Amino acid sequence: MVSGDDFVTKKFFVFALSIIIVFLFTSCTYSDVAPFESRDYIMGTVVIQRIHHNEAERISGEVNERIAEIEAKMTINKPGGEINLLNDASGEGYVVLGDDTLYVLDKARYFSDVSNGAFDVAVGPLVKAWGIWSENPRVPRESEIDELLKLVNYKDVLIEKDNDRAMLKKSGQVVDVGGIAKGYAADEAIRIYKENGVESAFVSLGGNVAALGGKPDDSPWKIGIRNPKGPQGSYIGIVSIKDGSVVSSGEYERFFEEDGVRYHHILDPKTGYPAKSDLVGVTIVSDLSIDADALSTAVFVLGFEEGMRLMERIDGAEAVFITKDDEVYITDGLKSVFEFKDESKEFEYVEKR
Amino acid sequence: MLKKGDFFIILIVIIMIAVSFVGVSIYKGWEDDGHKMALIIQDNKEIKRIDLDAVDESWEFTVRGDYSNTILVERGRIRFKEADCPDKVCVDTGWLYKTGDMAVCLPNRIMIKIEGKPEDVDIVTY
Repeated sequence: MVSGDDFVTKKFFVFALSIIIVFLFTSCTYSDVAPFESRDYIMGTVVIQRIHHNEAERISGEVNERIAEIEAKMTINKPGGEINLLNDASGEGYVVLGDDTLYVLDKARYFSDVSNGAFDVAVGPLVKAWGIWSENPRVPRESEIDELLKLVNYKDVLIEKDNDRAMLKKSGQVVDVGGIAKGYAADEAIRIYKENGVESAFVSLGGNVAALGGKPDDSPWKIGIRNPKGPQGSYIGIVSIKDGSVVSSGEYERFFEEDGVRYHHILDPKTGYPAKSDLVGVTIVSDLSIDADALSTAVFVLGFEEGMRLMERIDGAEAVFITKDDEVYITDGLKSVFEFKDESKEFEYVEKR
Repeated sequence: MLKKGDFFIILIVIIMIAVSFVGVSIYKGWEDDGHKMALIIQDNKEIKRIDLDAVDESWEFTVRGDYSNTILVERGRIRFKEADCPDKVCVDTGWLYKTGDMAVCLPNRIMIKIEGKPEDVDIVTY
């Protein structure tokens, strides 16, 4: 027999316990603090940052300033900046450059080499002739393109790292690091997050995504791969990553029409015309965003078969290919992190070819 | 041995847990599978929020900045109808109707984004 007093105590105990249980069940769902998310317009594109940190807003501001600084140094669409200095002195002599510019130029030169010129850092004269990034793009005359093609050669970009300087061999040559400067800016954003003790964040510079850590619950970030035919925001698959970068190139990004013909913005440095690729889009996954940025352009220009061969040669970088025939392929290294998810039902995932 | 009082307590506990689960799902569901909301964002600020499922008659409005964009709203969908920006990428994007759909006018720094149920992805690479 339990005495009356014991019964009351026990009752109270169980009741208190039940209340605790109820709170346990309900509260865990709300433990996440809402993340800070910013949208800004820098480098001619939308910069989105999501940061989990109690000083997220200040940190995002620091990142935005750094991105603007990189843009100012690398641009060839606005006056000023170190790349313009280098281009202006083409054929004349060496130009002393800062660390940022030298690093980016060197990377660009490296990937030009690796891709055998499918990505060519010296493509500038063609980019300017087509007015790719201007408000009035146009189709240059064939004779003009033939003439400019003689200037497009990454081997004429001479870099002396020890002396912090570089030069372009021939007068009229123009380097354009626009193809990888966004990647570099994304890498710098990650560096700034780390410096500030952030453990969970991502940044997207016009679709070039770089992630730090995973989500606050330690699950990976889910990066959608744009459906080349659907509206912005729609996707054909998901790559789950912690740390690392996901960058895409595709003809849907920017294009114009002239005399009923559609011209996209990724020029083939060998022909001087928009790349006649059998890909509509390619996505590269790698540790550094600058690498992914250069590779995505190179692989797009090379097309599926040659692009796949290039990716097989490169360590630490993987790819998703979307072909003009609406087929989706991936490199072997992505098998465990890629999920095919196409709501439009227009694409076919080819797991083994 | 269970007493009558114990049953009473167990009953209360079960009811409280059940109520808490229902409460949580209602709270979460209220935001999740509720209406499709279109957000108009200019210069990183939300300037308008439209419940697309509550649109009776189509209507349009104009947002001004460096350029001007006319946005057309219909039941369940929204789009950039006209723009005087140079590239008109925003107008070419067409109708937005699914959660996560997005159209951007870079020259005028305007974005339309559809929010609704939780998204499967954190961000889309393009």
